[in-house]
Amino acid sequence: MRKSIIGLLTAAVAVACVTAPAAAKDFTIGLSWNAYDSILVHKWEDYLKAQGSEQGKAAGIDIKWVINVANADPTRQAANIEDLINQGVDLIMARADDGAAIGSSIKAAEAAGIPFITFDRASSTQKPTAHVGGDSYDQGKTTAEAMVALMKEKGVHAKCIELEGSLTDENAVFRHNAWHEVTDKSGVIETVAEVPTEWNPELFRSGTANALRAHPEANCMFLASDFCWSAVQSPLEAAGRYAKTGDPKHIWIATQDVFPDAAKAMQDGYIDVGTTYDAFYHAKEAIRVAILIAQKKPLDCGPHGCLAKGRLATQANINTLENLWSLPTK
Amino acid sequence: MKLSSISLRAVLLDWGFVLVLCAIFVFFSLATSHFLEFGNMIAMLHTMASVVIISCGMAMVVMTGNLDISLGSIAFLSSSIGVLLMTRLGWNPVAAFSVTLLCGIVFGMLNGFIVVVLGINPLITTLGTMITLRGIGLELTQASVIPLPEGVRVLGNLAIGPIFVDILVMAAILVAVHVLHRRTSFGRQINAIGNGAEVAARIGLPVGRLVFLDFVLAGFLASIGGIVALLQVGSLSAYLGAGLEFTAVAVVVVGGVSLFGGRGSIIPGVLLGALTFQLIVNGLTQMSANPYVYKLITGLVIFLAMYVDALKVGRIHAPPAAEAVEDEPA
Repeated sequence: MRKSIIGLLTAAVAVACVTAPAAAKDFTIGLSWNAYDSILVHKWEDYLKAQGSEQGKAAGIDIKWVINVANADPTRQAANIEDLINQGVDLIMARADDGAAIGSSIKAAEAAGIPFITFDRASSTQKPTAHVGGDSYDQGKTTAEAMVALMKEKGVHAKCIELEGSLTDENAVFRHNAWHEVTDKSGVIETVAEVPTEWNPELFRSGTANALRAHPEANCMFLASDFCWSAVQSPLEAAGRYAKTGDPKHIWIATQDVFPDAAKAMQDGYIDVGTTYDAFYHAKEAIRVAILIAQKKPLDCGPHGCLAKGRLATQANINTLENLWSLPTK
Repeated sequence: MKLSSISLRAVLLDWGFVLVLCAIFVFFSLATSHFLEFGNMIAMLHTMASVVIISCGMAMVVMTGNLDISLGSIAFLSSSIGVLLMTRLGWNPVAAFSVTLLCGIVFGMLNGFIVVVLGINPLITTLGTMITLRGIGLELTQASVIPLPEGVRVLGNLAIGPIFVDILVMAAILVAVHVLHRRTSFGRQINAIGNGAEVAARIGLPVGRLVFLDFVLAGFLASIGGIVALLQVGSLSAYLGAGLEFTAVAVVVVGGVSLFGGRGSIIPGVLLGALTFQLIVNGLTQMSANPYVYKLITGLVIFLAMYVDALKVGRIHAPPAAEAVEDEPA
């Protein structure tokens, strides 16, 4: 009798296991931000969570998040990642504050058997499991090609001031190289000044002011990023060159990233073309890669990592781009 | 012959950097088309304003034989507090910037208290406050870029005729600190402390109180410099004041203020020191120089200035031939 009851129970459990839908597998991602240094990071986080939920559900994975922020302190970020390792997360995703210092955290995660994705900023010292970021070369190329086409259409010979990013940041170098590869032989765009900014807004401002003085004939600018648009706007205003497209004083402006202030300036007619640094597509790609890692499937990325391309933004299409993080939410 | 050799060496040590400055000025004037223009000179003074103001405070501290490497962080945190009061709590800009100035004074008092009352080495003290104050600022602002309200942002380009208002502020502060240094007993006592704190104490000077006030003055000037830099850029970013303390040290040293204390001037010292760096950066931009050259030349100038300073105070010896001449009676 007792054996029969046990047998029945076992059979019932077996039937239940076969007939019930498979429970989603839990997968915890430890996300380490270097800082909440712009609205972009908050948007990344929102998109990552939304994509994690959407793509995770489709893949039968319940993605959970443990998130910490280092407030622009590489030492604190290393400690934060150590915490994530100790908590036993399944994967670590980190936006490095320092591309060199993050290497030791990647090693530590590797030693603990935890896969590591560098997000947005690559490590210069240690190869992670995967790198997910924007395709900076493509960004520069897309913008440069659009600017060349615009100058040809308008019949303008452009003399450009280039505001470069940090010379030690590969994103800045890719953008610089792409700009020159496209424009130098275009016949319509000539870069008359290359100004180093080290991503410092004060150098964006003083560099623009100095370059406008040195090259009063300049009628075009290429910005390696527009994260501090006000630092470019201010010297343009001081020089009497802050004018909308169509105004004789207008400076043709090609930009990278299209941050909120720049998006507004494009809507208002001051910036002509730009390629978005697309938080939505970065997040989508990061989750796709995370799921491949969870499923232990091979990654299908390029030599520089799993890179998401940006979208070309112009005065004509800026208001119609879907999921553009830098525009006010409708 | 020997007399003239001695005189030449003395002249080179005392006026060498003025000669170098003149040479730089002449070189860029001849090598570029727009360097010598009035507008470019104004643009340079405009850019220099915040550095000069902060360097005045640094010079006064250095003249006592101390160092304050927290000035950039004081500029950042005090400005951050002002900006947050304006943008998050809707404070009137005048009230918000008054709090900024008050914060500069308080942070200067903190440095002075730790150095004078607790007797901790000034370099260690201000290294600590440099890190702590910047950390607090990053925490408060989440290291984000915060645009100034439009009505405040335009103040960065406020001008009377062709002269930007911040140039006038810089000039007023230069003159005021110069008078304080040269025409008051406070200034003379500062120099006396720099020449030997123990001796100064023995003759009855209130060394502790003077050093304390010196740190307070430096903190106050750092907050003014922070406001000027903030208005020029038009937005608050985590970069505000970053590295500014070291720029100020370089300005002070190149301007002939001895790092060993007791010697130097605000006018012309600090003014010419700041002008040297601005001439180099502006001139190189005018020449469309390779961006990598900027740091190389700036570093060389700092090295030369420190070498000359060390020669002046006898910390290192001049080349044998010159030394032999100097040792012999005239």
